[in-house]
Amino acid sequence: MPFLRALPRWLLGASLLLTFDLAGRLLVAALSLPIPGPVMGMLLLLLAMMLYGRVPSGLGLVGEQILRVLVLIFLPATVGIYYLRDLSRGDWFALIAAMVVGTLISIALTGLLLNYLIRRSGRGGGSADHGQ
Amino acid sequence: MASNAFAPLQEWLAQVQQVAADIAQPLSTTHPLVILPLNILGFWLALKIYRRVGSPILHPVVGGSLLVFAGLLLLGVDFAGYQRGSGLLYLLLGPAVVALAIPLKQNLTMVRRVGWPLMLGLAVGAILAPLVAVLIALLLNGSATVLIALTTKSVTTPVALALTEQMHGIQSLAAGVVAFTGIVGAVCGPGLLQLLGVFDDRITGFTLGVNAHAIGTVRALEISALCGAFSALAMGLCGALTALLLPLLVTP
Repeated sequence: MPFLRALPRWLLGASLLLTFDLAGRLLVAALSLPIPGPVMGMLLLLLAMMLYGRVPSGLGLVGEQILRVLVLIFLPATVGIYYLRDLSRGDWFALIAAMVVGTLISIALTGLLLNYLIRRSGRGGGSADHGQ
Repeated sequence: MASNAFAPLQEWLAQVQQVAADIAQPLSTTHPLVILPLNILGFWLALKIYRRVGSPILHPVVGGSLLVFAGLLLLGVDFAGYQRGSGLLYLLLGPAVVALAIPLKQNLTMVRRVGWPLMLGLAVGAILAPLVAVLIALLLNGSATVLIALTTKSVTTPVALALTEQMHGIQSLAAGVVAFTGIVGAVCGPGLLQLLGVFDDRITGFTLGVNAHAIGTVRALEISALCGAFSALAMGLCGALTALLLPLLVTP
C-alpha cells in the first residue's frame, strides 16, 4: 500500500504546519507584535526551510494538497457576503467603484513602474526559466 | 502578563473542543456532518464548472459560495448555524497561511535573478493597491467598515482573513472584496497591460500577483509558466509584506 507507506510523511508534514502555526501565535502574543499569528508562523517556516536548504518531502505533500483546496478552506468566510445587511447603498457603491477603478489604476501603475525599472536595470528580454 | 503567555494555545484547544462537541451532537441541519459535505460538494461542483467554462468570472470562490448559499437556503440554515457546522474548516485557516511559505521558498531563487527592480515594484505595488482603493472610497464617502475591507483587497484570502480578524473588520466582507478584486484583475489585467505596452511575461505575472493574488495567478498560469511563477512569487511576498505593514498603519 503506497498510501500507508507515505502516511508517516503526511503526518509529519501536517504536524509541522500546525506546530509553526501555534509557534507563530505564541511568539506574536509573547512579544505583543501587531501581525497575525499564522503570518508569523509562515515567516518562521520560511526561515526554517531556508536554513534547512530544501522543503521536507512530507511538508511538500501536505502543503500542495492544502493549497489545492484553499478555496474550500475559506468558503465559510466567503459565503458570509450574502448575509451582510448592515451596509448602506452608498457604501456598496463606494466599495464597488473602489474595487474596479482602484484595481485597474494600481495594475497600470505597478506594471508601468516594473517595466521602467527592469528596462533601466538592463535585464529586459532575458529569459529566466523558473526553478522547481 | 506572564500567566497569559499560553493564551493562544488555550484558545486553539477551546476551538478544537468546540468542534469535537459539535460532532458529538445529534444529527440536525446544522450538524458538521451535513454542513461539511455541503461545503465539499459546493467546492467540487464549482471547480468542475470552472474547469469546463474557464472564465475567471466563474472562479470557484464565486461559484462555490453561490452553490453553498443556495444549499443553505434549501436546508433553512442561518449563517450562525452554518459557521458552527464549518468549525473544522476554520481550524485549517492557520495552517493554510503557514503553507504559503512552501511556494515562497520554491520561488525564492527567482528573486535573486531579477533582483532589486522587482523588490521595489513589489513594495510600491503592495502599498499602492490598497491606497488607491481607499482614496477612491474616501472620495465617495465610504464608511470605516468599507475602508477596512479595502485595505486587504489585494492579498491572498487566508492572509486577508487573519488581518481582518486583527483589525476587527468584517471577515465575510473582506473575503468578498478579495474575490471581486481578483476577478477584476484577472479579467482586465493582462489586456490593460498590453494596451500600456507591457509585453514581458515576468512583469505581467508579477503585477497580477501583487494586485490580484491567487485568482490573478491562475490567469497568469494560462499565459505562460514563467508568468504564473512570477505571479505566485509576487502573491506570497505581497501577502507577507502587507501583513507586516498594515497592522502598523491601521490600529483598531
